[in-house]
Amino acid sequence: MELAHSSDISGILASQNRDGGWGYHEGASWTEPTVYALLAQLAAGSREDHIARGLAWIARSQRSDGGWAPLPFVVDESTWVTILAALLLAQQPGVAGLSKAVPWILSQSGRESTLANRIRVFLLGLHPDMDRRFIGWPWFPGTAAWTAPTALAILALRKIDRLQPNADVRGRIDDGRAYLIDRMCQDGGWNQGSPRNLGYEATSYAETTGLVLLALHDMPAQGLEKSLACAERHLAHCRSAEGASWLRLGLLAHGRMAPGTELPRRTVMERSLFVLAAAASEGRNVFLS
Amino acid sequence: MSFSPEQPRHSSIAPHNGHMPSCGQKIGRRELLAGAAGSLALAGCSLHNPNAPKPLVSITRATAYTQDLYDTVRRIFAEHRLEVRGKRVLVKPNLVEFDAGVPINTHPLVVNAVYDALLALGAKVRIAEGPGHRRNTLELAEAAGFFDIVPRFEDAFTDLNLDDVAKMRLRHPESRLASLFMPRTALQADLIVSVPKMKTHHWVGATLGMKNFFGLVPGGVYGWPKNVLHWAGITECIVDLHRMFPNTFTLVDGITGMQGNGPIQGQAKEAGVIVAGADAVAVDATCCRIMGIDPERVVYLTLAANARQTEDARVQVIGERIAAVRSDFDLPPSFGWLRLRR
Repeated sequence: MELAHSSDISGILASQNRDGGWGYHEGASWTEPTVYALLAQLAAGSREDHIARGLAWIARSQRSDGGWAPLPFVVDESTWVTILAALLLAQQPGVAGLSKAVPWILSQSGRESTLANRIRVFLLGLHPDMDRRFIGWPWFPGTAAWTAPTALAILALRKIDRLQPNADVRGRIDDGRAYLIDRMCQDGGWNQGSPRNLGYEATSYAETTGLVLLALHDMPAQGLEKSLACAERHLAHCRSAEGASWLRLGLLAHGRMAPGTELPRRTVMERSLFVLAAAASEGRNVFLS
Repeated sequence: MSFSPEQPRHSSIAPHNGHMPSCGQKIGRRELLAGAAGSLALAGCSLHNPNAPKPLVSITRATAYTQDLYDTVRRIFAEHRLEVRGKRVLVKPNLVEFDAGVPINTHPLVVNAVYDALLALGAKVRIAEGPGHRRNTLELAEAAGFFDIVPRFEDAFTDLNLDDVAKMRLRHPESRLASLFMPRTALQADLIVSVPKMKTHHWVGATLGMKNFFGLVPGGVYGWPKNVLHWAGITECIVDLHRMFPNTFTLVDGITGMQGNGPIQGQAKEAGVIVAGADAVAVDATCCRIMGIDPERVVYLTLAANARQTEDARVQVIGERIAAVRSDFDLPPSFGWLRLRR
């Protein structure tokens, strides 16, 4: 694999907590960095003992409602990180927990798109900037849908649908895709999910543009030319290893060239995403395989 | 990295039953009593004792981001007799987005002047922020110039979005929230110095010292943006966060502010002032008057005012007079009714 890949894997392994998980920095194990660290190791064919300990932590931290909390054993609510855990478990079909996670994921939707809220908006005479018919996923239950959790949910549900074909799952994937297309910024990329606010156009971000392009990997390229050009512009100026890796993953998913970068990688997230992008450049994209 | 792990310092917060972290962070009887005392103190203030001392707010002219700011900030802290020797102080700038040439964020020179002055006073200082939209806080800080101006910025900085957290129950919340997970670095601080940008805001009218505390709420738990605050009531959440952290000092970067469709898409407004004080409501209300906004119509200020600090006569202003530095900011669309009469 390319560049400093082995040192990235070493760095990931060295920062594994004794409980089997990973933190964002030093400290407690969080679900998000743990999932990315494990996906990176699966992509790179890393040592099985580290992976097994990580998967055991994921299994242990699943909540009774089928979801995961961002910081298990401290935060007492399942959130968007359940989508990430399901993405990982769909990569490891033998590991338990996925069947309970899927209903939790399908139960979540942006609060702005509920019938009750749409009636409220109508009665108040409000004119929202975005179309509220499109159903995405929120970061936190009971709140609005946003770009990143929706893109990740599409990636996870696609894997799940391949394992166990399900019309409800496919329906939500289609809804999510419509949501993402609606939330595209004027420059062709994506930001957190507010392409316009009070009539003002907003610009896109590197990391979300890459992530959404990855989630829309099976859309015809001619419909996304503007977005792909936007991602290439972002990559040329990107100063963040995390952002650059998402851009590479998104561009590679559409068959575009996406050269590696030498931006500093200091965190588990940065190293893991770099490894995942490097593996994708060699044809092993764990988000799509 | 956070301050050394100890108990939460802010007396008005209480642990949520059964949900405290497992690494020794417990609330003892002393803290609970302190919390009760804090509540009593708040209740006392709400009686509007006419003999209570007026909160002190300083208005200092500062027309440019120059090296003079280092002396200016030290003078401001001296005027307010800020005692921080040996204390853990968290400096909270307003770091939101980066758009070259648009004054969205607190200028890094102001933040460094505050950081430098606090270190000189003997405090243990960390700069900390949890931006609401961008995942990569350090990239944002680099783009905004913090790495160029703050020495060893990365070592001095904590990303509050990804800090470890503890669950805090809200006493008598104004919002629909019963509790919030909050970063340990903020909870362990003896004092939070809020260093916001003077801006208009398209949802609440103005964003100053109190609204700046949205950046304390961890994205790692609530996402990017921290949309749970919006659904629970933005105005009310501003007040709840203000009450959660009673030990604060506010220093507003009003040298170049933002007017119009703030807090991100507005235009630069040269206001030429730094406004500071230990009473966040009084500081924000004074800023509003400077901006040509009637603080008594800003809902979160009236909700939070426990000693009528939104009234001009209830604040002791030192330095420049408000009338001498007033410079009306263009108001966000649909907020024309906030304009303060001359």
